[in-house]
Amino acid sequence: MLLLVQYTIIFASVLCLVALGGCFSEHSGVINLGLDGIMVMGALGGAVTMFLLPAEASGVVIVLATTFAAILVGVIYSCLLAVASINFKADQTLIGTAMNLLATAVATVFVRAMNTSLNPDNVSSSIQYIHEKKAFLKYVGKFEFNWFMLMAVVLLVLSYFILYKTKFGLRLQACGENPQAADSVGINVYAMRWAGVLISGFLGGLGGIVYITAGVSEWKFEMGVAGFGFLALAVMIFGQWRPTKIALAALLFGMFRALSNVYTGIGFLAALHMPSTVYNMLPYIISLIVLAFTSKNSRAPKAEGIPYDKGMR
Amino acid sequence: MGQEYAIEMVNITKRFPGIIANDNITLQLRKSEIHALLGENGAGKSTLMSVLFGLYQAEEGVIKKDGKEVSINNPNDANDLGIGMVHQHFKLVQCFTVLEIIILGVETTSGGVLQMDEARAKVMALSEKYGLQVDPDAKIEDITVGMQQRTEILKMLYRDNEILIFDEPTAVLTPQEIDELMVIMKNLAAEGKSILFISHKLNEIMEVADRVSVLRRGKYIGTVEVKNTTKEELSRMMVGRDVQMVVEKEPSKPGDTILKVENMTVASKLHSNNAVKNVSFEVREGEIVCIAGIDGNGQTEMVYGLAGFEPLVEGKIILCGEDITKASIRHRSTHGMSHIPEDRHKHGLVLDYPLEYNMVLQRYFEPEFTAKSGFLKKKDIRGYSERLEAEHDVRSGQGPITIARSMSGGNQQKAIIAREVDREHKLLIAVQPTRGLDVGAIEGVHRHLIEERDNGRAVLLVSLELEEVMNVPDRILVMYEGELVGELDPKKTTVEELGLYMAGAKRNLSVDANTSEIEESEVVDNTREGKEEAK
Amino acid sequence: MNERVEKKNILKNPSFQAILTSLVCIVFGLFIGYIVLLIINPAGAGEAIKTILLNFLSRSSSAAQMKALGNTLAKTAPLLMCALSICFCYKVGLFNIGAAGQYEAGACFGLYAALAWNMPWYVCLLIAALAGAVVGAISGALKAYRNVNEVISGIMLNWIMLYLTNMMLSKKEVKDPASPYTLKLSSANADGLIPTAGLNELFSNNKTVTLAIPLAVLFAVLIWVILSKTKFGYELKATGYNKEAAMYSGMKEKQNIIVTLAIGGALAGIGAAFLFLTGYQEWSTTQTSVPGMGFNGIAATFLGGLHPIGTIFASFFIQSITDGGALINKSIYPSQISDLISSIIIYLCGFVLFFKFALNNWIDRSAKREKAKAKDPEPAKAAEGGDK
Repeated sequence: MLLLVQYTIIFASVLCLVALGGCFSEHSGVINLGLDGIMVMGALGGAVTMFLLPAEASGVVIVLATTFAAILVGVIYSCLLAVASINFKADQTLIGTAMNLLATAVATVFVRAMNTSLNPDNVSSSIQYIHEKKAFLKYVGKFEFNWFMLMAVVLLVLSYFILYKTKFGLRLQACGENPQAADSVGINVYAMRWAGVLISGFLGGLGGIVYITAGVSEWKFEMGVAGFGFLALAVMIFGQWRPTKIALAALLFGMFRALSNVYTGIGFLAALHMPSTVYNMLPYIISLIVLAFTSKNSRAPKAEGIPYDKGMR
Repeated sequence: MGQEYAIEMVNITKRFPGIIANDNITLQLRKSEIHALLGENGAGKSTLMSVLFGLYQAEEGVIKKDGKEVSINNPNDANDLGIGMVHQHFKLVQCFTVLEIIILGVETTSGGVLQMDEARAKVMALSEKYGLQVDPDAKIEDITVGMQQRTEILKMLYRDNEILIFDEPTAVLTPQEIDELMVIMKNLAAEGKSILFISHKLNEIMEVADRVSVLRRGKYIGTVEVKNTTKEELSRMMVGRDVQMVVEKEPSKPGDTILKVENMTVASKLHSNNAVKNVSFEVREGEIVCIAGIDGNGQTEMVYGLAGFEPLVEGKIILCGEDITKASIRHRSTHGMSHIPEDRHKHGLVLDYPLEYNMVLQRYFEPEFTAKSGFLKKKDIRGYSERLEAEHDVRSGQGPITIARSMSGGNQQKAIIAREVDREHKLLIAVQPTRGLDVGAIEGVHRHLIEERDNGRAVLLVSLELEEVMNVPDRILVMYEGELVGELDPKKTTVEELGLYMAGAKRNLSVDANTSEIEESEVVDNTREGKEEAK
Repeated sequence: MNERVEKKNILKNPSFQAILTSLVCIVFGLFIGYIVLLIINPAGAGEAIKTILLNFLSRSSSAAQMKALGNTLAKTAPLLMCALSICFCYKVGLFNIGAAGQYEAGACFGLYAALAWNMPWYVCLLIAALAGAVVGAISGALKAYRNVNEVISGIMLNWIMLYLTNMMLSKKEVKDPASPYTLKLSSANADGLIPTAGLNELFSNNKTVTLAIPLAVLFAVLIWVILSKTKFGYELKATGYNKEAAMYSGMKEKQNIIVTLAIGGALAGIGAAFLFLTGYQEWSTTQTSVPGMGFNGIAATFLGGLHPIGTIFASFFIQSITDGGALINKSIYPSQISDLISSIIIYLCGFVLFFKFALNNWIDRSAKREKAKAKDPEPAKAAEGGDK
């Protein structure tokens, strides 16, 4: 049971971070289907940093450097979306899909090239970080506390604050809802949308590194992040684009994800003999049903997905 | 003298390719006056305001504020000069609160954090001072159109704008809200704000404005003191001109009733009122009936209701004796209704299709053009298109294979008319069929309409052009705010009289006894729908 | 009103534009791939990019070349079907990102019918098509009646179908007990294999070369014919180009959306059958990511200039560089370099519409300038701009 709680919290942290990333991007008016790819790149940045850090590096250095690297790579990668969809008015669905494919390819090529250059016999796409990972963990009794859990909570509160209590948040949302109105009061829509996408790169990249350090201490980059970015998208939709609801949705979906890992250890669930795939599938089914019943008056930003053209005001 | 003007636009000329939208126009707004800008559609009012607001740059002329020449290159410049505008379509964010939308762009912050209390105090003070009652914490999507407009006004006041432009502000309001707005505008002027009020409703101008400037066809006609003028004079200034063309036609010989509309009511997509209210009329074979009126008085929605694009809230449509109130669009079009739509790009054509495909848009499914196997008979389509092009003088770069988008507006319209008059029909609905066409093309369209009539068809023409209204039809029905307010005989009426009807200053068709009853019950019903649409 | 016959400008020809922009994307993609290879190891980069491009031609003997070509073709068929699915829907204004899920549905029920019920291949093919169509129709119905964006429902269904397929194909009657894979079709139900019809002999007896390949090409032609020659295609394209005009003409928009996505789904479902019913590979019941086929289909669609015939060549190209990637020296270069190249190509395809738009604008403007010089400006256009 403790294991379930622990897994739930860590997976929920990932989902919450990435979904908040999507939330910022969409509130600025850009649909970010490339979240999965951004996660992969963040994971890559973090994993490579852990791999390169000297073994004697202190825990604080490992945590800070890894987090920073993941965020940096995520932000840089998100520029691909920003430039294409904001400045070149490209199809956001197409660009997001391309970014997902590209991220896995880049990560695999990079890790394999790195591994092969260090040891010609090593053609795997995996990075190990058993030692470094310990820096993130702190045992409270039997509960494995992860610093990332704290980070997720802090960023959740901060996101809420930024979106609803600051000038920036107000303007960001105006750009996603009615860019013409925002423009008419002197707000630079392009700049705000760039900001929204870059923040999604920040949170998505961070989410990536949290995910690959969540349960394992080695990651095979060939498999990307196993679609967790899409699950985060589902969380965002289920959370109706609002940080508080996103947090709750993340906990729920995180629990499903955790259940698929540990349900065999829980008496009554094991007795149900449901395969783990059912728990994996449930979040998506729930999201789809929710969508079917709420889409007619969805809280999605009204102008999301529509490139803004200054000439059209 | 220059000092007493808040803003002056001197000798403004703005050209678009092929047309002079503003020809040497001078507009002088005195401090704390309400100055109305009157003109028909296409008179150049919007262009002039766009120049003032920095959306367009004039080729000639200068803008002066307090006597000093200024340059306005974008809306931000206008804002900095204290010029604010309530756009015809509000610039609001549906999920924001009133307070949030007011402060957006000029937020009071401390270290990036919004200081809502200060803003609230200022908004409440303004609201009290000018009698602009709003609920600062209500969401825009939950409040009435009237309160949304008051929010827009507060937006200008919050920015300390001195010059307030109202672009057709009453179009979306209920009569009560209009009365409130008139009071508000007077209050604002009394407090020293200078107001530009764009309108073509004479009653409102007479009630609220101090002076009025009239534009016609891009030219400045004159500025008069409201207290020294009459509605009749204004109407003449707005529309009065020699009739520029006479359409030759025989007297009509009307026959059986083809279209019968009874108590038609259609909801609006823009606001919570019904756009068409309890309208009843008939069109008989061999006559042209024209629905006249100023843009936005429900004509579009009425046609949508007739064509089946929008369901009726109330009423009945009978075409050739058959009740088609609930019939599909396809059924109507195959059972006698031809329709030249108002917006040829939106409805009339698939712009990326070649001309030949557009020529069969209403008939492609007929055995003449589709074989039993489901294949298009391309040869027949080509031949049909070529015949229509020749008969109706539709000119295009590559004939039937020309992509419709690359054709000129006039030829696009000719193609649509050819398509609609060539197929079997008893009723032709022509909505602004000459919009955007040059004189030669307009004559051709008019000739077609009369030919149709003489061939025994019923023609329903919807027009905003006064010459067209005066010359083409056999009967005129005037629409004002969703109601038919007058029936006129074009041979007996004058342009001035027509203008009075169109501006709502006169009516000869009474409101049915049951109208008010229906209205009351429906205002409630449609609030929700109106809101949805407004998003 | 005189419109002169416009000068034939080759740049304005849409087919030429499509091919030009696709080539630009390919060249850019390969160039970036080459740079990555140079960074990893400059010595063999030229050789490696050559191998990727040549693919089967880089084999030594002609027999080996034909065999490798056979493999590439065998995988091109399913890719082409997915691309056709996306292309077809895109023509009607729908982005069928759910092709991957429809493909999974086809794999799931096609394989299940073949392995559990021992159905002959043509029945399995129909079942796969039907399964894909149902999944597509779900997206379509959600869009038409519940206003759910087809992209979002497609993504959700991709994952739902992945797990459902894993679950279905893990049943003991279809799964190999010793591995995570489904049973080998050749031994479990040889009738379930799509017949080779002698095609295998052309490709050094490569048994995976089956009727699927000509059938896929046939489907491409069929889709092209439907879209360009039939009443059905006329309605669908009109809906895609201009929904309002389609409504004005009395077409049934909602029905068209559902039918379109159902057909798209059937195409993707058949695509899956074209892979798994050839015995080329088995379904891995432990896979945790949506198969790339549906997404690569997006690449082939856009690279093919959104034309059914163009997608034939684009699908072959994408599959060919993917297979070519597997042939490069693995001790120096990772084979995913070709995934990298093809994903860069998709990314660049995002700019294609902008590029075409800019190109056309530029041509139009220079043409207008010429026109304006030649005759008086058109009053028609101007009056429209007057009071807006």
